Amino acid sequence: MPRVNGPLIVQSDKTLLLEVDHEQADECRRAIAPFAELERAPEHIHTYRVTPLGLWNARAAGHDAEQVVDALVQYSRYPVPHALLVDIAETMDRYGRLSLVKHPAHGLVLTSTDRPVLEEVLRSKRIAPLVGARIDPDTVVVHPSERGQIKQTLLKLGWPAEDLAGYVDGEAHPIELAEDGWALRPYQKQAVENFWHGGSGVVVLPCGAGKTLVGAGAMSQAKSTTLILVTNTVSARQWKHELVKRTSLTEDEIGEYSGTRKEIRPVTIATYQVLTTRRKGVYPHLELFDSRDWGLIVYDEVHLLPAPVFKFTADLQARRRLGLTATLVREDGRESDVFSLIGPKRFDAPWKEIEAQGYIAPADCVEVRVNLTDSERLAYATAEAEEKYRFCATTDTKRKVTEAIVRRFAGQQILVIGQYIDQLDELGEHLGAPVIKGETSNAQREKLFDAFREGEISVLVVSKVANFSIDLPEATVAIQVSGTFGSRQEEAQRLGRVLRPKADGHQAHFYSVVARDTIDQDFAAHRQRFLAEQGYAYRIMDADELLAES
Amino acid sequence: MSPEDTPAPRSLAEALRARDDASLAALLRSRPDLITPVPTDLTQLATRAGTRASVVRALERLDRFALQTAQALAVAADPASYEELLGLMAGDERDPAVAAALPHALGVLREQALVWGGDDRLRLVRTARELLAPSPQHPSPTGLGPTVQEATAGMSPGRIQEIVTTAGLASTHDSVSAVTALTALFGDRKRMAALLAGAPEESRQVLARLVWGPPYGQVTADPAAHLRWLLDRGLLLPTAPGTVVLPREVALHLRQGRAHREPEPLPPAVEAVKVHRPQVVDATAAGQALTALATVEELLKDWHEGGPAVLRAGGLSVRDLKRTAVALDVPEPVAAFWVELAYAAGLLASDGEADERYAATPAYDEWLTLPAQERWVRLAEAWLAATRTAGLVGGRDAKERALSALGPGLDRSAAPEVRHRVLTLLAALPEGAAPDPESVLARLQWERPQRREDDLRTRLARWTLDEAELLGVTGRGALAAHGRALLGLPAPDHTPRAEEPSGPGDKLPVHHHRRPAPAAPLSPAEQAAASAAAARLLAPLLPEPLDHVLLQADLTAVAPGPLQRPLADTLGVLADVESKGGATVYRFTPASVRRALDAGRTAADLHAFLAAHSRTPVPQPLAYLIDDVARRHGHLRVGAASAYVRCDDDALLNEILADKRSAGLRLRRLAPTVLAAQSDPATLLEGLRAMGFAPAAESAEGDVLIARPDAHRTPPRTPPEPVPDGPPMPDAALLSAAIRAIRAGDLASTTPRKPTDDTPLAPGELPRTSAAETLATMQAAVLTGEAVWIGFVNAEGAASQRVIAPVRVEGGFVTAYDHTADEVRTFPLHRITGVAELADD
Repeated sequence: MPRVNGPLIVQSDKTLLLEVDHEQADECRRAIAPFAELERAPEHIHTYRVTPLGLWNARAAGHDAEQVVDALVQYSRYPVPHALLVDIAETMDRYGRLSLVKHPAHGLVLTSTDRPVLEEVLRSKRIAPLVGARIDPDTVVVHPSERGQIKQTLLKLGWPAEDLAGYVDGEAHPIELAEDGWALRPYQKQAVENFWHGGSGVVVLPCGAGKTLVGAGAMSQAKSTTLILVTNTVSARQWKHELVKRTSLTEDEIGEYSGTRKEIRPVTIATYQVLTTRRKGVYPHLELFDSRDWGLIVYDEVHLLPAPVFKFTADLQARRRLGLTATLVREDGRESDVFSLIGPKRFDAPWKEIEAQGYIAPADCVEVRVNLTDSERLAYATAEAEEKYRFCATTDTKRKVTEAIVRRFAGQQILVIGQYIDQLDELGEHLGAPVIKGETSNAQREKLFDAFREGEISVLVVSKVANFSIDLPEATVAIQVSGTFGSRQEEAQRLGRVLRPKADGHQAHFYSVVARDTIDQDFAAHRQRFLAEQGYAYRIMDADELLAES
Repeated sequence: MSPEDTPAPRSLAEALRARDDASLAALLRSRPDLITPVPTDLTQLATRAGTRASVVRALERLDRFALQTAQALAVAADPASYEELLGLMAGDERDPAVAAALPHALGVLREQALVWGGDDRLRLVRTARELLAPSPQHPSPTGLGPTVQEATAGMSPGRIQEIVTTAGLASTHDSVSAVTALTALFGDRKRMAALLAGAPEESRQVLARLVWGPPYGQVTADPAAHLRWLLDRGLLLPTAPGTVVLPREVALHLRQGRAHREPEPLPPAVEAVKVHRPQVVDATAAGQALTALATVEELLKDWHEGGPAVLRAGGLSVRDLKRTAVALDVPEPVAAFWVELAYAAGLLASDGEADERYAATPAYDEWLTLPAQERWVRLAEAWLAATRTAGLVGGRDAKERALSALGPGLDRSAAPEVRHRVLTLLAALPEGAAPDPESVLARLQWERPQRREDDLRTRLARWTLDEAELLGVTGRGALAAHGRALLGLPAPDHTPRAEEPSGPGDKLPVHHHRRPAPAAPLSPAEQAAASAAAARLLAPLLPEPLDHVLLQADLTAVAPGPLQRPLADTLGVLADVESKGGATVYRFTPASVRRALDAGRTAADLHAFLAAHSRTPVPQPLAYLIDDVARRHGHLRVGAASAYVRCDDDALLNEILADKRSAGLRLRRLAPTVLAAQSDPATLLEGLRAMGFAPAAESAEGDVLIARPDAHRTPPRTPPEPVPDGPPMPDAALLSAAIRAIRAGDLASTTPRKPTDDTPLAPGELPRTSAAETLATMQAAVLTGEAVWIGFVNAEGAASQRVIAPVRVEGGFVTAYDHTADEVRTFPLHRITGVAELADD
């Protein structure tokens, strides 16, 4: 019996297993990428998941059910269950029954090609407040301000609306990429193209893979005034620096809107923090969104988007939105809100793939397990539940291990990252290294970062303020001594600190020091999941082994 | 049995007598109820074939056209000639399709002894005629009414004469010949056409409304002119006051002789909606077959350690079914199907213990050892032959009791036959063709017409289509090669065969496919051969079990196909299953590794196991995980002891252990200074004392217990309640209420009253007066405004005395102020036993 020995296995829970070493693997990956989400990418078998959202995004991108079914049937090693194919066809068929369009007389309207569906959704209590008068049996007026809200709600009801109402162009402003001696990398180009073609959406790239340039590329496509939202002031300055260097924009055209400065220029970089500052129950700075006719809004580190910005973003559906992130995992599970409000995922590159292309440094991830001393164990056992993590995460043994690692990599640029200030201060003292924490002024921070970049300081102890967007290309070793409980994205971001490709192309090292048999270990396991699924294999070492080596 | 060579039979018995053995065998095969018990002679056989129950059964098993033929015979004359029957079935224009199919249908009716007699004298057996002939209570599907003769049975001869005359016939004095003449007129197309040509337009419309039935209409006492025109000519005949009927002969004239509006001589075709490549069908079905095996295995694995409890009435509770559905990740009806399938295949049953639960049978363990294709065949055979129908689960029986999976009441004897028939219909399609389910159902409806739309056979057929897909007998709706083999059908050759299509293209009469295939067409030996053939076809389609998995650093293992059993079993213990399907994804967690260690594996075993079954090196994190869990595994030990001995002096404990007399105490040394004993503390103390030691007992806190003589105690008891002499002291509220009641009663009983008669009333006795006297006294009291004393029986029958001041007497009620209750009330007079005036003073 001749059987096609395809690279894909379709599981009954709608996951797709792709054997990466198979000769047809690449071909198959390209065929399934439009509709399936890459969920895990360890060394042998990658897991994709088929979700209604993914199927609808594929429909939005112009793929039909037949293509999806064909891709599955063609590459599948075993017969694809008929029920699953039927389900896919039915799910995809739900998209486009409703659409949001501009009506010449009534403005934004929701129309339907299938009247019962419209009746069904209009009967929903959640839709009722978002719509206005019924113009004819197939059309109902939608309040323009509810464009995002209604899309989000319809998605939850399982009848996604196709948004054909278009975008406003915004105030035009010339922006060009200044590709002098450098060029966008192929995947960056692809990301910009996918985004521009789709209108709005999220681009997922590993840390250090040059997300800023994707933003700059998008701006050069939009050629209009742009609002860039970033996580903090240091990051804002880096964006500004990069934009000046990589585009035709000059320093004067770029404004910074932060706690200290309130400039509004054709390109304005604002921090999430200032937008969400609340006075007397109102957000005074949200009017920034309306202060200019923005043609493009860029959300840096979109996985951190705070709730008020979410709410406001719902009202900005007529403007192009670009979300950038390395790790679209939110511990609050609001990933789907990101997709419905910013837009679907337009580009996603597995970390290991970018690494293979040499754009991020290969990393050696090691988890070092330390033992608590007997007295610490007793104290840990009796500690209050909320104190337990702090207690085990700051055990004295970690200090010795950290010192040993620092000694081993003497001469390289080393970051020590932690959660607890006491622990960091103590480490800083023992290692003779400066500490950057929340209370360190921005000027001081920049000075220290500069010194680190220049190699004047080789060890820097940082708190979580340095989790994101701090560009420290020369850091090659990161030592994590404690973290924000089980945060997967924090772990990925911290690894990202050392992934900028090194001048000499050598390996980066990421050490996570963990107290054995405590919740520190449980949290560490959870934190590592995202990276493990991206194919980063952690080696596990005992502290004694490490201490003996050095 | 050609009527030419033997004299025409005079009865069914004679007709049967004239039949040859093969023909009698055919009768008994199609009506097996006739030989249980075996009749003594042909007369008895004929009698039995004419019994109502047997005829009903036979009629229910006719296909639609044969039934239509029988219905036509029921409205024809008795006996009727073949020509007459043909006229009724094919109409005046002699529809060729009907004319071609009729001999076969008649042959079926004859074979089944529903019709006898030669072509010139066809007779429908009397019981069938009674069942099928139209009557006002049981309208016939033909929509025909009674004959002229039947409809005029109670009519006055004068009225008949009038009709005959108005219809333009010569008058006769004899009603019988008049009716015959009228019948002849209605049966004569030409004269009838002439008669109707003169009818007013409205009259024709009335006839058009009644022609296809129901033939009855309502008329007023004074009918309109166009109705009168019809009534006067006997084209409508009165049946009851206000009701008229269209006589059968008139209707047949208007229908051009047809008894049925739509005769259906040909079975509806089973239409293919999609034709897949046969390889795709077979592969899909094989994939599903594998899923079926995995699901049954998973189900029984889930029930491995004590399945769900058996309900008292038998079966699985709704909650357990829900839980099973969740565990199998399928909808509940599908879960019910798998449970019933495993039951039908003898893989699970009730354990019969006092606390009855479901569990796998020993046959399951045997089944597990079979190769996959054999396992599938066992399931498929069981499914084909089962009369239990999972589709009924969740519904209710005739007595409104819920039908539960594995419970009673799920047997439907028609199920195997319907399954077989549905599958043979699929087999008749070209290879790879998936039928439109509705056309399959329509075909079954034709073969065995049912009275209701949503009948059991249709439901069974629907379930069959769904279940065949679940089980992998079909793939993408088309019958797979192994499914075909399972039915014992030969593989179709690939040249299209003109002689075996289905549907209207069929050139009748092809006898074998006109009759539903018998329920169990294969003998056990044939079925075994068919199953073996199915297994042979299925085997190469099933993936070869693998002996390796892919281990990954994110602590998952992927088995890219089914695994060999020992490997799957071990891995199932060592890791949690995360995703199922063609492949299986396992995840290693500390808990799963611990489970493997608990199951008696050592860390070294596990390392060796993984190394042996992985083609790539075992990832370091996985190896570390196993070691890390193993390091802590069994660090703490737990056991049971009834008592302990502790002593700071190890030497003394050595001495005790060495002493032979301590053997009975079952002591074990846990630590240098501690012994654990399996005997209880009292026995231990006694034993040690007997050995000459002086042990002291310890409390749970470690204090020395002071031994005191034992005193026997009861469990906690409450002291007895005192039993007082009288009732308890009433409280103030109760007292005041009591006093008011006493006073009111007192007023009623002690108020002096006039003696009503010579014998004064005894105290407490109700006054008794006649009704008239009561009324008079009341009315007088209303006028005078005086209070009277009454006896009153309330609705519960309790009698009481009351003093009332009547206000009004009307409608049998007295409205009065009731001194006793201190309010205005209404008393029914009939409840007042009597009345007495109060004494004046």
